[in-house]
Formats: sequence, structure tokens, C-alpha cells
Amino acid sequence: MSEPVLSARALRKSFRSGDALLQVLRDVNLDVAAGESVSIRGESGSGKSTLLNLIAGLDAPDSGTVLWGGSPDTGAGRRAAYLGMVFQSFYLVPELDALANVLLARRILGRIDAAARDRARSLLGDVGLSDRAHHLPSQLSGGERQRVALARALMNGPNLIVADEPTGNLDERTGNEVVELLLGLCASADTALVLVTHNASHAAKTRRSLTLTAGALGGS
Amino acid sequence: MPWYLHLALRQLFPTGRRFPFFTLISTLGVALGVMVLVVVMSIMGGFAYEIRHLIVDTEGEVQIVARGPVSDYASVVKRVESVPGVAAATPYARDAVMVKFGDKPAFPMLRGLDLGSIERVTQLGRYVVVGSLDDLDDDSVILSDQIASSLGANVGDSIEVYSPLIINKLSADAVFLPRQVRVVGILHIGHQQLDSSTVYGTLRLAQDLYGLGSTVHGIDVRLNPGVNEDDAVARVNKVLPDGIRAFSWEDSFSDFLWVLNLERSMIFFLLLFIVIVAAFSVTSSLLISVVRKTREIGLLGALGGRPLHVALCFCAQGLFIGVLGTVSGLAAGFLALAVRNDVVLWVARVTQRQEVLRRFYQFSELPSHTSGSTVALIVVLTIVISTLAGTIPAWRAARLKPVEALRSE
Ligand SMILES: Nc1ncnc2c1ncn2[C@@H]1O[C@H](COP(=O)(O)OP(=O)(O)O)[C@@H](O)[C@H]1O
Ligand SMILES: [Mg+2]
Repeated sequence: MSEPVLSARALRKSFRSGDALLQVLRDVNLDVAAGESVSIRGESGSGKSTLLNLIAGLDAPDSGTVLWGGSPDTGAGRRAAYLGMVFQSFYLVPELDALANVLLARRILGRIDAAARDRARSLLGDVGLSDRAHHLPSQLSGGERQRVALARALMNGPNLIVADEPTGNLDERTGNEVVELLLGLCASADTALVLVTHNASHAAKTRRSLTLTAGALGGS
Repeated sequence: MPWYLHLALRQLFPTGRRFPFFTLISTLGVALGVMVLVVVMSIMGGFAYEIRHLIVDTEGEVQIVARGPVSDYASVVKRVESVPGVAAATPYARDAVMVKFGDKPAFPMLRGLDLGSIERVTQLGRYVVVGSLDDLDDDSVILSDQIASSLGANVGDSIEVYSPLIINKLSADAVFLPRQVRVVGILHIGHQQLDSSTVYGTLRLAQDLYGLGSTVHGIDVRLNPGVNEDDAVARVNKVLPDGIRAFSWEDSFSDFLWVLNLERSMIFFLLLFIVIVAAFSVTSSLLISVVRKTREIGLLGALGGRPLHVALCFCAQGLFIGVLGTVSGLAAGFLALAVRNDVVLWVARVTQRQEVLRRFYQFSELPSHTSGSTVALIVVLTIVISTLAGTIPAWRAARLKPVEALRSE
């Protein structure tokens, strides 16, 4: 079989605050195959976001390796095309309308052309916002903002999406819709997904459910 | 367009809103500085330019003078006129005189003109408002208007002229009568100093008054359009006999010009501080925006944006404000220059000071001359300063680590 989309080996990460050393991740191993969906649960403060940051190449582990498709290059240049991120607080650029927020992912990658615009529009259609393309984030509801963020994460056709409690700021019904949408879009694009969530029913919808406890991942 | 320029533009001009407050205020500050610089520099340049213009119009671009009187001036004129680049030359005699009309005296300079060649060198005829240069003969003069009005003399009146020679003879107890001349014209140049102190007569009249015989005091030279003055002066000097030298306007007034330039540089430097202070406010606004947008900056990193490009996004905002401020400042500055005389007249009318204005102003209009190189300097400096204003916020933004920025909830 081909290389896993993501392969994390023996990740350790600690934070120093004053004299105290806080060992957050002790020995994390995680393989995600192409198109596979994995959920990670864990108590607040257990290190889920820390782990996602390491996976996304935004932060460096104290030791251990992260490979994307077998390659250790997890730099900014590769990230734009390889990986999409979704956050609890959406993080849309308030000065850009929905369409421009989606296109921003492509702009950072390089030029945008008519094809890119068409793709951004069709992604907005996929998340049910085709008639809101020119609305600013401030004119959208929380659920709608998160949908724009989903479209942005998918814009460059990434191999992997990491989502950090994407429903944390949404009411239950909207949260369910967003997770359904996220899983559906990843499945149809054959994009792997690492979903951090507190919600057991959301976790149950992924192919594999893991729990982060005491700095290590375990099946559940 | 690279993403960071696109985002910089969008942050200055968000979709939907016409002109956000930060952009407006920052641009206004820069524009104000540029406007004041353009207006003040143009008006200061205008004074130098007008003086030059008047002197060139009344005396030509190049003046030839000797230590004593120039004796064989006809051959000197011929030689000078054969120099490439020289259009024409005209001899003159000039000294102080006392004129009297009734019991009112005045002490102007009387300049004797060679009527045969004067029109080829100067534009004097254009400034004669009553009568004309052609009416001059060896027993008549043209008065500048302020002399005429202080004497109370008019065209047709007869006035007395006392030259230094006559006064010398008088003190030697010789009997010598003043020269009686008719007023045949009134001249208005538009420069306070010239209008209050100049009388024109023929060369013959001046030679008689000053006891010059057939010599002159100097020769005025006009150049062909576009000829470089310094080069022409050098060529003219080559053909001049010893003891006679040619000077360009810049040579003759070099001290005056030096002071004028010093003044202009100082003022330029001081006014540039308006732009610099405006740039400080751009810096602080952008710093606030970096703090406010910490999480978005983190997001840009998460989307694969490089720190350098994030920095450029903020630098570019300084640049755009600089460009916008420069353009609107130039527009406002040129507009202000266009209406400057109306403004001055309006102020004079409101404050009932039209008379004062006329009496004390060098020129009858507020002069203005905008030099292209000064405008270029203003444009370049303003844009550079505004861009520099963006560098501190840019550096702060580039230093933000995406993980930390994203955590900062
Ligand atoms: N940059 C940091 N400096 C110090 N401590 C940190 C830093 N990032 C995370 N931590 C700590 O590491 C632990 C795990 O944080 P996090 O990964 O955000 O947890 P989770 O996302 O599971 O709630 C927390 O105790 C948090 O305070
Ligand atoms: Mg977290």
C-alpha cells in the first residue's frame, strides 16, 4: 500500500513555564491513510491542539518525526497545498467576503485564475453558501462562517484536513450539520481527516476513534 | 497580484465599506504634509523665478560689465553677437540720479537704452503701460509707475534730472543747470523694488548726464532659447577683451541665490516633519492592527503564508497610504496654488488691507513656480517614509509564531 498521508512517530512535546516543565505529549504515534478519517478525544488541556500543531508543521516536537506522505518536509511552502486546517473560532479574515476568504488559500499558494474562482464558487455551493459568496464574515452566522472555513480548507485539494474542535463554538444542531458536511466533503474528495472533538457522537462517525490520555494516543 | 498585496489593499479598503477611518486619517495626515510642502516650496520657488524672469525680461540673461566704462562698445557688441547661442546684445549706461517735479524729489536709477537694439534683447516694451518705448528721444524719459505717482508727474509733464556729474559741478561752484526732460511713458514691471526706483531714457541722454562721452557702463545679452547659460557665458568671455567680463544671472546673484536655497532647504526639512509625524501615526495604527489581528496573522501562517510575506502585507499598507497621501496631497497642493491669489485678495479685502498689500508685496501677484525636481523629491521621500512607517509593525507581525498567535484567545 502507498505511504500514509500522515505518519507521526514517537512525538514528545513539553512546555516550560518558569521552573516547571509540563510534559504534554510523551509518546504519540499516529498513522493516517489516504482518505481515512480519525477522531481524537481527550480532556481539556490534554494536548490535542498541541498535537495538531505538530501534525500541521506549525510547531516542532522536542523529539520524534512527522512525515507527510513519507516526506519530512512540513514547511510553510508545502503546507498550503498539502494540508487544510479548521479551527474552533473559524478565523476568517474579516475584511474579505466569503469567496475571497476561500480564495485566500489559493492566493497564498500562487496565482489565482478563472478555474480557481470556479472551484471556490463550487466549494461554496458544496457547503450550501452559493448565495452568500459576497457576504462579509460579520454578515454570516457561526455555522455559516465555519462552512466558509471548510471550503477554504478544501480549496487547494489537500491530502489531509486537521480540524480542532470545529463545533466548539456552535450549537448542537449546527455542529452536527458542520461535522456531517466535513465528513461528507472529505469522503467525496478522498481527503484524510483528523478531527479533534469532545462530542462522542461526532467521534463515532469517523472510521477510527482515538483518545489522548497522559500524553499518548490510545484506541477506544 | 501576490496575496499579501491583495490582503493589504483589502485591509485598507474592506469590501463594502467605502473609506475606513484608519485609512482616511492616515492618508489625510500624509496628504497634508505633501500639500504644505508643495505649496510652500512652489511659492518660495516662485519668488526666485519671478525675480529671474523680471531681470531676464528687462536686462537679458547675461550681463557684461567692465571695471571702468567700455569704450569701443560697438565692436564688443558685434563680437558678442557673433558668439554661438547669443541672440542679441545691447549697450547701456546706468547710474543714480535725482529727479524733481515741482518741489518733490526722487532718487531712482536712470538707465540709458540703445533704442536700436533694446527690443531685440529685452521685453521692456511689454511693461510700458502708458505711451511706448518708441516715443523716447534724447530729451524724454519713461518713469516707473511708483516714481510717477510719488512725484505726481504724468505723461506730458516736464521734470528736472540732476546727475552725479551735475552735483559735482555744483559743489565746485560752477553754474550748471539740471537737465529738463519730458515724461513720455509710464512703466509697470510688477516688482516693488524695480517699480519704485527705475527711470528709462535713451543711451545718449544717459551718456550726457554721466559724462560718458561715447562709452557705456555695460552690455546686456539675450541668448537663444534653450542655450545653457553657463556655457554661453564661458564662450562670450573668450571673445571679450581684458577687463570686461560676462556674468550669468546666477553669477550676479549667487549670494542671493545661496541664501534663498538655504532658506528653501531649511523650510523643506522642517515641513518634512509633517510627513514624518503623519508616518508615526501610520506606524502606531498599524501596530494596533497587528495586535488586533494576531489570530489572523497566525491563520495566514497556518494557510502556508511565509513570515516575509506577512511582513510585506503590513509594509505595503504603509506604501499604499504613502502613495494615496502623495497623490491627494499633490492634487490639493496644486489646487491651493491655483486659487492662491484669490485667497490672498480675499484676506486683504476682508481685513481692508489691499493698499498695504500692494505697497509691501514684491510682486503684484503671489508668485509660484513648481520645480519638477522638488516635486519628485517630495514624492520619493513621502513614499519612502510611509513605507518605512510600515516596517516596525511588519517586523512585529513577522515575528509572531502561528502557534502562539492562534493560541492567543
Ligand atoms: N505555548 C505554550 N506554552 C505553555 N504551555 C502551553 C503552550 N501550549 C500549550 N500549553 C499547555 O499544554 C497543555 C495542552 O494544551 P492544548 O494542546 O491546547 O490542550 P487541548 O487542546 O487538549 O485542550 C495545556 O496545559 C496548556 O496550558
Ligand atoms: Mg485545544
